[in-house]
Amino acid sequence: METTMAVAGKSTKVRLLSVLDDLEVLSRELIEMLALSRSQKLPQGSEDTQVLELLVQRDREFQELMRVAQEQGKVHQEMQVLEKEVEKRDSDIQQLQKQLKEAEHILATAVYQAKEKLKSIDKARKGSISSEEIIKYAHRISASNAVCAPLNWVPGDPRRPYPTDLEMRSGMLGHMSNLPTNGVNGHLPGDALAAGRLPDVLTPQYPWQSSDVSVGMLPPHHGNDFGLEPPGHNKENEDDVEAMSTDSSSSSSDSD
Amino acid sequence: RAEQARNRFQSELEFIQCLANPNYLNFLAQRGYLREKPFVNYLKYLLYWKEPEYAKFLKYPHCLHMLELLQYEHFRKELVNAQCAKFIDEQQLLHWQHYSRKRTRLQQALAEQQQTQQQQPPHGNTAAK
Repeated sequence: METTMAVAGKSTKVRLLSVLDDLEVLSRELIEMLALSRSQKLPQGSEDTQVLELLVQRDREFQELMRVAQEQGKVHQEMQVLEKEVEKRDSDIQQLQKQLKEAEHILATAVYQAKEKLKSIDKARKGSISSEEIIKYAHRISASNAVCAPLNWVPGDPRRPYPTDLEMRSGMLGHMSNLPTNGVNGHLPGDALAAGRLPDVLTPQYPWQSSDVSVGMLPPHHGNDFGLEPPGHNKENEDDVEAMSTDSSSSSSDSD
Repeated sequence: RAEQARNRFQSELEFIQCLANPNYLNFLAQRGYLREKPFVNYLKYLLYWKEPEYAKFLKYPHCLHMLELLQYEHFRKELVNAQCAKFIDEQQLLHWQHYSRKRTRLQQALAEQQQTQQQQPPHGNTAAK
């Protein structure tokens, strides 16, 4: 009869065994006494009864202990059943935990991707331009051969993907100032170069100036002094500040 | 005042497109304009032409790329060399011719294909063994 329960004091098993030992000793004594009394024929009354009483007492203890042991066994069994229950519930909880974690992960991914999608939708919306405008613009820059060379272009053809010398001088900027001769591109006859001005007859209106199209269009608001450090500009070293003095702008107006 | 603004718009429109001309850039570099701080600031200010509402007025869009490159000091320094400007000019022209070359090639390929198709039926039985 095993029990793993350790009670305060001796365990039932130990007590049982000690009682059994006592019983054994007592019964041996009794048998010896009986054997002795038979050969000696002397009344050993008191000792007999003492041993008998002890024997009975021990037997009673033994019975008691057996009963206790049985009960303990039942309790132990119950405990085992409960432990199994607990284990089962435990694993259930762990399973649920795993599933919860998985669900959370999936949801987090979905939310994240949805947010990214919204961001890109926003971005696309911000940069949206009517297709009609794009097509119009594409026509403009292609028709004038500004981005695609004319099909019959050969070296020697004066046309270029940029405004040539001639075009530059015939524009508003060219008329605003007397540009020095520089011989680039070589598109102008030398006389006109020296004069710095073209006779009116030779002044073509190039569409790249688009004066008619841009009526109502204004540049972004900005002071006229570009000598000041623009905000956030940090690539260059700190130099002396000067007012801009190039040819291209002769607007000497005061600030707005 | 509105007229001033219009004039400024006009002149900036012209000026920024001039930047598409590598020879002009070389001109500016050799006269030291590209080293002047106010001029560099002005180049940065001109970046507003990249916005669609302004960009649509540009006839020569190459200028925007040049403007972006001009933001870098290294590029501005290099432009002093005539060979640099020449190289850019050549590459720019080649790029400019890219689409027409492609079209020509396609047309040639198409013409060749049609030619071989026309020639095949009559010669179909004379394949050498």
